[in-house]
Order: sequence, then structure tokens, then C-alpha cells
Amino acid sequence: MALVKGKIGELTDRDTGKPERNCEQLAAALESADAGGRRHAARAIGSCPGAAAVLVARLKSEQDLAVREAILHTLLRLRDPSVASGLAAYLRSEDAALRNEVIETMKRLGAEVAPVLRLLLSDPDPDVRIFAVNILDSERYPEVESRLIEVIEHDPHVNVCATAVDLLCEAGTEAARDPLVRLKARFPTEAYIQFAADLALKRIREI
Amino acid sequence: MTAASSSQEPGPCITTEDFLKFREFFYRRTGISFEPSKRYFVDKRLVERIEATRTGNFRAYFTLLRFQASGEEIEQLTNLMTVNETYFLREEYQFKCLVESILPEIVRRRTSSTPIRIWCIPSSSGEEPYSVAMYLLETWSGIREWDVEILSSDIDTGILRRAKSGRYSARSVQYVPPRWLAKYFKSVGDEYQLSDDLRQAVEFTRVNLAEPGDTLDYRNFDVIFCRNLLIYFDDRSRQTAAETFYEALNPGGYVCLGHSESMSRISSLFEVRKFPEAIVYRKRLEAK
Amino acid sequence: MKRILIVDDAATVRMFHRGILESAGYAVEEALNGIEALEKALEAADAPFDLYLVDVNMPRLDGYGFLKELRRQEIPQQPAIMVSTEAAAGDEMSAYQAGANGYLVKPVQPAKLLTHVRLMLGEATR
Repeated sequence: MALVKGKIGELTDRDTGKPERNCEQLAAALESADAGGRRHAARAIGSCPGAAAVLVARLKSEQDLAVREAILHTLLRLRDPSVASGLAAYLRSEDAALRNEVIETMKRLGAEVAPVLRLLLSDPDPDVRIFAVNILDSERYPEVESRLIEVIEHDPHVNVCATAVDLLCEAGTEAARDPLVRLKARFPTEAYIQFAADLALKRIREI
Repeated sequence: MTAASSSQEPGPCITTEDFLKFREFFYRRTGISFEPSKRYFVDKRLVERIEATRTGNFRAYFTLLRFQASGEEIEQLTNLMTVNETYFLREEYQFKCLVESILPEIVRRRTSSTPIRIWCIPSSSGEEPYSVAMYLLETWSGIREWDVEILSSDIDTGILRRAKSGRYSARSVQYVPPRWLAKYFKSVGDEYQLSDDLRQAVEFTRVNLAEPGDTLDYRNFDVIFCRNLLIYFDDRSRQTAAETFYEALNPGGYVCLGHSESMSRISSLFEVRKFPEAIVYRKRLEAK
Repeated sequence: MKRILIVDDAATVRMFHRGILESAGYAVEEALNGIEALEKALEAADAPFDLYLVDVNMPRLDGYGFLKELRRQEIPQQPAIMVSTEAAAGDEMSAYQAGANGYLVKPVQPAKLLTHVRLMLGEATR
């Protein structure tokens, strides 16, 4: 045997997702027993009306990692305003892996996530507020610093503030200086808060 | 730490805090961590990019890096911060891993005798796929029983042409064992011409890995080499690439990334597997 | 010198824990999520870390996922302390079930961290 010139394979129907499949069939395929089929459906269904809602709903029961990724990837592409609030519901999920994937996806949503984040940042559950602060850590979101400052000025929970200070170590400017000093005064016995706030202040010093 | 540009103004200054901020950012993106001893190396390149982008100072440059939608500057900077040479048998330990660990396992699980398929992307000027071919012929006993198909792809048609031509500099072949060099190359002036047999053993195609439509046909691969490419991609393109590899691989198929690269910055779709020679990534056996 | 792997996606937290542990004479390495941590643990198999300090919420592979994968590997198994923002008792049990030996709630005070680390390493806790 030997080295044989490689070939690109022939497309199978499943690979192309059968272009003639209609939206109803795709929605059904999304529930099929075959993970590969669900994955392809998750990608193809993007152009169907109401795709966002169907995909968001499917996340609830989808256990296969690759299918979840395909669903989230399609949702990202859709730029549908309902995606942000639809995904936000999963921040309360018991499934830590799903929560983290949703956080990563929401980080990439861009400006349309802002109104949803506002709500999440005042959620009664401190863990949800922590996730919301995490989502603020986005490269495309220049108002991040104002939101982070609001958190360290007003949030009662030490871990929510801790998450915000961590982000200010990279994103902080002069505007954060006084709020950081006040935060230190608010949690004088919390070693991590003192450490992180000092670091953030140090990093602001040079302009 | 000032770089002198004109006689009137000092160049942009990189403070220790700037360096640390940048180091964290770069480590998060690429997994590459700069030791304090690399200050000069890093500062010099940051200053170069600050001047090239006319941002004036580190703060403004860092903002550009973090907010630029196109990711162009991150790519430029990453290029500058990493070593990019290509040559035959680069990161040879992975070829050793292929022959001594990966292929034996794949072969053991095979129930049919369809060819073993290997995809090398990017092909660049061809050193990598041709290295795989040579390595298999010279060190893998299984080559006597199994057909192997090698595909190699790149986004740049110019470089694909170069790869197909099989003409290389002395520098490019410097690590090829003399016996292999004599067997597979012919010297032409101060360059080396790869034999027709080996040139014909690799199929070269044009592919943009960040474009999902380009790779629908790429299926049933056993091993993918994708070394020192994804490090330059933004998050979204990295994810697209990872999904593409997942679709392209058979269950139990392997991905080999570059020496300093890791799936930790790319995707959770693959299992981490450690072989004596290397850490590689596998699509789950139960996957479809 | 004993070596500890700190696993957390927040750079500032890693720095904070590093400072505490290095001052107490430990050598420290870092990983920013479970996949990187798994790779480092596997690479170190011949000279394993003495302890893992593992955050729960991390992208790509979280603390639970990392521990479960780690405990499946055929490498020397070392103690792990999970560090969580959740204080509910149920989460502590999940941590042990995933393969943790210790459990701490953030924010961690330096003295408490050191006591628990020493406990895990079988050292005197004073």
C-alpha cells in the first residue's frame, strides 16, 4: 500500500442538509435522536422565521456538546433581539457547563445585550449578577467601564464587586479611581478586594 | 524604556504595568506567557505597532487591540510576537506521535480498509504535508498495508502554487536527514527540488477555514494537522474552525495543534489526550 | 518545594492566590480554564503537582468538568481544593462527588487558604 493522492469526498445528503428541507422539517430534525442530524439542523434552521425561539428552547434539553455549540453559534449569527433575553434565562440553570457556554455566547452579542444586562445586574440573585458582570467582559463594548463602576459603587455583595474589580484591572481609567477608593473603604477586611482594588488603582496611575 | 524616534520627542513608553496588562491579555488570547526576561522583546514590538498604528501611546494602542472589530491589529501583533519560520520536519515530535501513537490506535479500531486520511492546514509552502508524507514512508511500517491520503489546504493561491512546485531553499531542508534528502530531493543550484512521486502524493486545495461554506466536502478524516494558524484567528473564526474540524473528523479522529497552542483557547469539543510524544486532541469515539 | 496549580479564569484572582502561596514557600503554576489545567496536569505526570486549587466557573471546561476528567486519567492523583462563590451545602457535596478533597468559598482570606492548603498537603497547619 502507499501514499495515494487525497480526494475530497462526495457530499452526502446529510452533509448538505438537503436544501429542499423546509422549516418544519428542520424544526423536527432538531429533536431527532441523531446528534449529527440535530447539529446540521441547528445550522440550517438559521434562515427560518422564528428560528431564534426554537433554538433557544432546544437548549433546555440538548445534552450533546457539539449540538449546543452549533445552536449557540447560529443564535450568534442571527442578531435577533430576542436572543439576549432568551439566553439570559439559562444563567439560572443548574447545568454549570451550559451556563458557562451561554455566558461566552452572550459576551459576543455586542450592543444588543445591553438592556438585558441592565436587568441582570439588578437581579436579586448575586450569582446571576456575577454572571452579568462576567458578560460585561467583552471586547466590543466601550461602555463597560461605566457599568463596572456602577457595580462597585452600589452592589451590596462582595463577590459581585470582586468580579467587577477584576475587570477594572484591565479596563479601568481615571473615572474609576475614586469609586475604587470608596470600594476599599466599604470592604476593609476583605483581603481580595483590597488587593484587586490596589492593583486596578496602580494600573490607572499612568495615562 | 523609551524608544528614541526623532531628536525632539521621546517615543512611546511601556511601563511595567503596561507590560503586565499586555502580558495577561496575550496569555488569555494565545496561551503564550512572556517571562520578565522578554521585556525588551515585547516592548520593542509594542512600540513598533504603536508607531505603525499612529495611536501615540500604549493606552490608546491597547484600546485599539481590544475593540477593533476586524481583529487586524491583533493578527499583526501576534505575527510579530511569534516565531513563524516554516521548514521540513518542524515540530517533528508530532510526526513521531503520528507514527508511534496516533496511527497505531486508529488502525487498531478500523473495521474496514478504506484509506487513512490526513488533512494538513495551512499548507503554506508545503513543507508540512510533504514532511508527513516522507515521515510515513520512512518510519511507519503500516504504510505497507494501508493507503494514506494526504490533503493540504491554504487560503493563498500563490503559496499553493509554490507548494505544488516543490522547490525549496537549503534553509528549508536543513533538518532533513541526509539519507532522506538524497532519496526525495534533487539539488538544483543552491535549491532543492522535491521528487515527483512525493509531490504527487499530496492533493493541494484552496480553503478559507473561517468560511464554513468552503469545507462542506471535507469529511472522514483520521488526523488533522493545524499548526500555528488558529493562534492568529479571532474567537469567532477559531470556533468556526473547531466546528469544521469536528465535522471533518471520523469519531476517534485526532487534531494536532502547534507547539504553543491549545484547545483551551479554542473549543471544548475535543478530548485532551496525552501520548508519550505529545498532547493531542480527539473527537469522541461515541460522537457522530 | 511543593507545587500548586492554580486554576481560575480571572487573572487577578490567580495573582492574589499566587502571592499568598509563594510567600508561604510554595511554587505556583497557573491555568485559566479546565482544559489548560488538564493539559498541565498531564504534562506534569512524571513530576505531578502536589495540589490543585480549582475555581468553579470557567469557560470551555469548568471546575467540576476538570476534576471529573482529572480523576479519570491514569496519572498520580493529587488532592484538589475547589473554590466556589456559592455557599450552599449542596454545592459542597457536588464538589466532593466530582473529585475535590476540600472546598472553600470566595472571597478567600489568606490565612484560611493557607490552613486548608497545609491540611491537604499533610503539613502542620500553624
